[in-house]
Amino acid sequence: MSTETAGPVDVAPPPGAPRPHRPASRIGLMIVSKYGTLIAMGIMIVIFGTSVPNGAFLTSNNLLNILNQSALTAIIAFGLTMVLVVGEFDLSIGYAASLAGVLVTGLLVNQGLALPVAILLTLLLGAAIGAVNGLLVTKARVNAVVATLGVGTMLIGLSYGYTAGSPIIAVPTSFTNITLGAFIGVQNPIWFMLIVLGVLWVLLNRTPLGQRIQAVGANKEAARLAGIRTDRVKVAAFVIAGVCAALTGILLASLLGSGTVSAGDGYLLDSFAAVFLGVATLRDGEFHIIGTLVGVLVVNVGFNGLSLLGTPTFWQFVFKGGILVLAVALSTVARRYAKT
Amino acid sequence: MTASVPSAAPLIRITDVSKAFGGVQALAGVSFEIRPGVVHGLVGANGAGKSTLIRCLAGIGLPDSGTIEVDGVRVSISGSDDATRLGLAFIHQEMSLIPGWDVLRNMALGVRPRTRFGVIDWRSTRQRAAEVARRLGMRFGLGSPISDLSTADQWLVLIGRALMRDARMIAMDEPTASLSVEEATRLHGIVRELAAAGTAIIFVSHRLDEVSALCEDVTVFKDGRVTKRVVGAPTSKSELVRAIVGRDLEIPEHGQEAVRTGRTVLEVRDLSDGTRVQDVSLTVHEGEVVGLGGLVGAGRTELVKMIYGAERSAGGEVLLDGHRVSFRSPADAVRAGMGLVPEERRSEGLFLDRTIDFNINVATLGSLRRSRWLPLLRSAAGRRRAQSVADLVAVKAESVNVPVGSLSGGNQQKVAIARWLLETPRLLILDEPSRGVDVGARAEVHRVVRELASRGGAVLAVSSDNEELVALCDRVLVMAEGRVTGELSGAEITADRIVSLSFARGSGVGAAAEGATA
Repeated sequence: MSTETAGPVDVAPPPGAPRPHRPASRIGLMIVSKYGTLIAMGIMIVIFGTSVPNGAFLTSNNLLNILNQSALTAIIAFGLTMVLVVGEFDLSIGYAASLAGVLVTGLLVNQGLALPVAILLTLLLGAAIGAVNGLLVTKARVNAVVATLGVGTMLIGLSYGYTAGSPIIAVPTSFTNITLGAFIGVQNPIWFMLIVLGVLWVLLNRTPLGQRIQAVGANKEAARLAGIRTDRVKVAAFVIAGVCAALTGILLASLLGSGTVSAGDGYLLDSFAAVFLGVATLRDGEFHIIGTLVGVLVVNVGFNGLSLLGTPTFWQFVFKGGILVLAVALSTVARRYAKT
Repeated sequence: MTASVPSAAPLIRITDVSKAFGGVQALAGVSFEIRPGVVHGLVGANGAGKSTLIRCLAGIGLPDSGTIEVDGVRVSISGSDDATRLGLAFIHQEMSLIPGWDVLRNMALGVRPRTRFGVIDWRSTRQRAAEVARRLGMRFGLGSPISDLSTADQWLVLIGRALMRDARMIAMDEPTASLSVEEATRLHGIVRELAAAGTAIIFVSHRLDEVSALCEDVTVFKDGRVTKRVVGAPTSKSELVRAIVGRDLEIPEHGQEAVRTGRTVLEVRDLSDGTRVQDVSLTVHEGEVVGLGGLVGAGRTELVKMIYGAERSAGGEVLLDGHRVSFRSPADAVRAGMGLVPEERRSEGLFLDRTIDFNINVATLGSLRRSRWLPLLRSAAGRRRAQSVADLVAVKAESVNVPVGSLSGGNQQKVAIARWLLETPRLLILDEPSRGVDVGARAEVHRVVRELASRGGAVLAVSSDNEELVALCDRVLVMAEGRVTGELSGAEITADRIVSLSFARGSGVGAAAEGATA
């Protein structure tokens, strides 16, 4: 019966929706909703550029330093972006990164495997973790928060079991060199970040799978009725997130020169912060890869500038939480007002 | 038309109420009265204005003009709070129960008395609910979870909620639509008892046997007007059909088989889903547009979704080009050459935030790959082909890069159809192809569908708009209550015949209502 009335209601234009011109305040709000994070970054760069002593902030070395500090978070956050685009959630990525770190070092040190084999096996582990998450969410229909929290907790256990609690040290220099080196003056982690950025941007925007990931996230039922196998697409997104988490874990172990239990756990919150900051970038209200990159950079620009100013560390956490909540709240509010 | 003078002062008097949506006049000068202690039937075809009127009473929409009086006092009902305060309760087909809660909490929703400390007074609430439960003859405990109850028992809970709120009038929207014969009979008994105790009942139903057996007063709607008012007099089904259609008509028998040249594309044999669709058989040939007519809720959407693999079937088989198929998901159906333009365009058909380009290409991304080994899309080619099919169906938009949500309903529908024209489908299923679409776009949609058929495509079109079925289809099957009640072809297809078949008796709930009075 309700569908019967939907007919005439559908014909009616939404009251006052198409307006010939928009007042200036509305345009301002649209700008905030689309460019909020970029504006925040611009303001910070101006402030730090002028207030950090000796102009130490705006040097090429320091800017590269910021990119280098952002690289590992960016890689894991790019993977997380895929899961959020498809409309799901993944809380296991930080623990997956930790497990990948101890596994790759363990395979090198304890099993004495060749470097490429150890890395490949570890990336496969990441893919397997993603597949388990995806199958739990799609086939067993477990809520994604619960499923990935459960899987993540099991991964913590596996990390402890594998290492018996003590760090794996004495890793080969070929492994630590992965992240120590530089190419045309740019540190290797930045290159890794750029490669993952490029691959996932193309995947999301220029491949059938990426388009399907976007379709499932935009309207799951419409995607299903358009003939998309929504379950497979979701599993694929989780697998991508798992592989990215494993890559971040491997690179972190290389940087640290050891496989340490729970070393990557902190990436969970950092990557979520980055992805949600990215929502307020360029395309309002959507998760996307470039936005995530901007989100990671904003946090690290802030961290870097605050530490150059000699701000106590605790303020840096206050800053990180604060800017996340502020940017997302501003863009959400702005979007709501801009649309109505 | 008035057969006798109303015995009691009316509870509600509706005078000259009109309401328009956009260009559509949903109600045009409607007047009638609701008497206390009387079951009042509201009947009419889809879109005749019944629901709009009920929405005005429920405070979901204000009438454009005209007055509503309760107890002789003119009222303005501008929200559900107002309606509740006036003692008006509304029970809809889509149940408003909270599945995880028990019966008591669902019945007490919104009416809990508070103690002096502002805490819910569960003791008196429970006493009250127990009284109501006794009155309604509930055969389940107040602590039972809602999800354990049958549909019929859930209706009792909703009626119980209305009584908890001291409702003086209860409007029920198609209460028997998904009930078994026994359950419907039981509900009729309860409705009669409520009326006998002085409550006014508005009973909306498509089952005319049921209405003529149960309702003392009946108001018939057609095209937003009242075409018949029966007050306190018996009425027959044929009188009601005449008022619904607007003139006399003969009830046709099954249509004769026309000669067909095209090969059979789709054959459905005895398809059932166990509840809404029962033993439906049909065929669609090459070059043919077959319509599915009937009332909303007749099971047509469920039928086409089963054919498409979007819903599970409980029995029967589907053959495509002579081969038996059993699709486990729409993806299988699409791969086999089917396409579906769903009824709910905005929630099921389109990605509103996305571009026309995205919406058109999304179902056939595989053919845009650069090569078998390289899963990269030829974006420019995709945009070009989206543009060409958008032009084919005459989508009016600046470019294919604008979001579909910014288009008018008609252009949105054209995009939803255009998606399936990229790779000519073997069978295209359209569910309400021109709902919410303006006249011009509707003609375009029809042209596109006819063209597809003339190129050898097979089309199955669900429509509640009988004029559309007449204009569009080579053959029309009419469904009522989950069964095919008749088939019309060629010149036999008229709106009147479709209407009368829509009200033809299906599974026999109406018969139960008649039996109860006999």
